[in-house]
Amino acid sequence: MGSEPSTGRSSDAPAGQSVPVVLVDQLPVVRAGLRLLIDAAEDLEVVGEAGDSRSALTVLARLRRRRAVLLVGLGVLADRDRIDLIGEVRERYPTLVIVALGADADIGSISMALFAGVDGFIDKNSEPSRFLDAIRSASHGDMVLAGVAPGAVGKIAATIDRRRRSELLLTQRERDVLAVAAEGLTARQIAERLGVRERTITTHLDRIYDKLGVSSRFAAIRAATRSGLVTVAGPE
Amino acid sequence: MSPTTRVLTFGGHPAINGVVRIACASSPSLELVAETEDPQEIVRVAAEATPDVIIFDADVREADPALLISQLQAVVPSAAVLALSDRSDGRSVLEILRSGASGYLVKADGLKVLGEAVASAASGRPVLDPALEQAAIEELGRFARRQREASAVATALTSRERDVLALLADGATARQIGRRLGISPRTVETHVANVYRKLGARTRVQAIGRAVTMGLVSLG
Repeated sequence: MGSEPSTGRSSDAPAGQSVPVVLVDQLPVVRAGLRLLIDAAEDLEVVGEAGDSRSALTVLARLRRRRAVLLVGLGVLADRDRIDLIGEVRERYPTLVIVALGADADIGSISMALFAGVDGFIDKNSEPSRFLDAIRSASHGDMVLAGVAPGAVGKIAATIDRRRRSELLLTQRERDVLAVAAEGLTARQIAERLGVRERTITTHLDRIYDKLGVSSRFAAIRAATRSGLVTVAGPE
Repeated sequence: MSPTTRVLTFGGHPAINGVVRIACASSPSLELVAETEDPQEIVRVAAEATPDVIIFDADVREADPALLISQLQAVVPSAAVLALSDRSDGRSVLEILRSGASGYLVKADGLKVLGEAVASAASGRPVLDPALEQAAIEELGRFARRQREASAVATALTSRERDVLALLADGATARQIGRRLGISPRTVETHVANVYRKLGARTRVQAIGRAVTMGLVSLG
């Protein structure tokens, strides 16, 4: 183990004090379970929790002067809201340790979380003691990837790489259009959502298909999902 | 799915080739279908031989191992690439895994376990020592951060600024940039200043260097 924390961030508390942890997860039962598990450890302590992004930011603002580890539950398929929260927190609090939590998370979601700015990922399927150890490692500034398959690290890096290449390929506007298109809306609905004319949207889509080398909306969304550009909501 | 595992070796490393030959000779379920040390030939040989496992010497000098591996994965997607290298640092390991290899062994110790490693790779299990995995994970953190920062810079640049940056990377003078884009020298100066600032650069060389690293421009 090197002496330099790899992320440059750490929540090392003075000896005798416990590492403060903030929980963000949509489900109250999950938060309650995590709180019990974490508070049972002597060196960790839950100091705040939130069920949605806005509350999370409020909690963090209150805690601004205390170093903490923020645990963010990704939810199913790393929904946009959580990813945006991670990006926002990373920007406002550059030295805060952020760890994403998932349940059987897929490579795409983990990649998106890392790209958005988390310092690590822990799958909730981990053994409780491994789970706590991973939080501790993260608090010391180590990158953690716990509870994922051994082969995953390469695939996660590859997805992040593809994301960057796609990003270079598509403009921000095109990515916005594609992200909304991935929800299954028609061109007209996309236009309404983004406040532009329908013809503008079809022009964007044509250019997107061209750049991605595809000829159908479905193929474009699949290419974009594979590149971690968008996450797609599952069938309701 | 053939009953035997078809094995292909890439690389002229005598010890590796020797171990693989012995492993294949002594196991009825392993079949050595091809060997090559020529980076120009490996993709074609793999396409013809359709291996299940490719033992890949990642210390090849005449070509980019990561590029070769990704080409191999494109041509024989069902093959498991087991990479061997002298290097054990996180950056090397992650780069090889990122290109599609499902296993990584350091040559010094790896040769002893190569026989079992081939069998593991054949059954679809990744072959990766926990210490190497940890090194790769550390590098993954740094890698993600670099990509994020590059992305932030790319987003911060206006399309005009990106045009100016591309021309700077081509070696254009301020005057040439102005003529090419139809803007005044003063405007060019402003754009250039903004580009430098957003890239955190103080000189043209620095700016171009950063831009290349972030993938915003390519040279040549």
